[in-house]
Amino acid sequence: MSDPHDDDTIDALLRQQFDGPVPDDGFSARVMQRLPPRRRHVTWPLWAGILVGAGACWSSLLFSPLLRAGWQDWLAGELSMPAFVLLLAMAGMSALAGWWCVAEAGDR
Amino acid sequence: MADSAAEARIDQALVARTLLGNDQRAFEHLLRRHQGMVRAQLRRLLRGDGAMADDLAQEVFLLAWRKLDQFRGEARFSTWLYRIAYACFLQACRKRSWPVGDAGDGEVGQLPAPSPAMDLQLDLERAMQRLSTAEQAVLLHCVQLGLSHDEAAYVLAMPLGTVKTHAARGKAKLKTWLAAWRTTSEEQIS
Repeated sequence: MSDPHDDDTIDALLRQQFDGPVPDDGFSARVMQRLPPRRRHVTWPLWAGILVGAGACWSSLLFSPLLRAGWQDWLAGELSMPAFVLLLAMAGMSALAGWWCVAEAGDR
Repeated sequence: MADSAAEARIDQALVARTLLGNDQRAFEHLLRRHQGMVRAQLRRLLRGDGAMADDLAQEVFLLAWRKLDQFRGEARFSTWLYRIAYACFLQACRKRSWPVGDAGDGEVGQLPAPSPAMDLQLDLERAMQRLSTAEQAVLLHCVQLGLSHDEAAYVLAMPLGTVKTHAARGKAKLKTWLAAWRTTSEEQIS
């Protein structure tokens, strides 16, 4: 059914039939005249959001006994349950940040 | 291959200059490099309507200007533009209720036997118009615009398998319809 020689013939005929690129004839100039100004990407709402979020997180955890106990145990070199939870949360956040970096690098 | 890789790098650099420096001249370079093929693509899709194709091409480049930061370099810049152009074409078809449906799906007959006055290219044009719209689009992108099956799948937003099926089916139909011309065409090409 699909004899390669025939496929080549059809391909060649189709390429012959194609006229190729259209000459510019002022097209680009017309488009350039209609180009609207580029809107700058505003990044401050993102950073403000991150700061507010981090601040809220910190203030809610600051007075939590779990965080304080975990921190103290960790500094004392004691792997208690609060220290383990704290460690686990930090490892999770690091893994999340690492995954996000790899995903961003892959997109570029 | 090396040429197309170099071309892709030039496009990437121009895109980066446009985005980082808000450089309209870099975008103008991109526009001049690609307008010819995008307009040719749209002319074929619109069956030779040059004015309409140019209107759509203008829309394509304005969209590309607005959405340039969404170009991630996963595909070549030209492929990205073809994809926008094909989406604009489909949208225009829906807006103006042009038929996008199938033209001659299923019927695999043969064109009338060629008389000396009939031209092979004219017959090919007629045969192309008898193909379904999807088959026409796949052959245009894969054969005439020189995209790979993967790239055509990206432009036409179709699964890869569907693209391959349309390409094989379209060519098979053309072979059947142009069977009477086979010897003549082989002579012309050689």
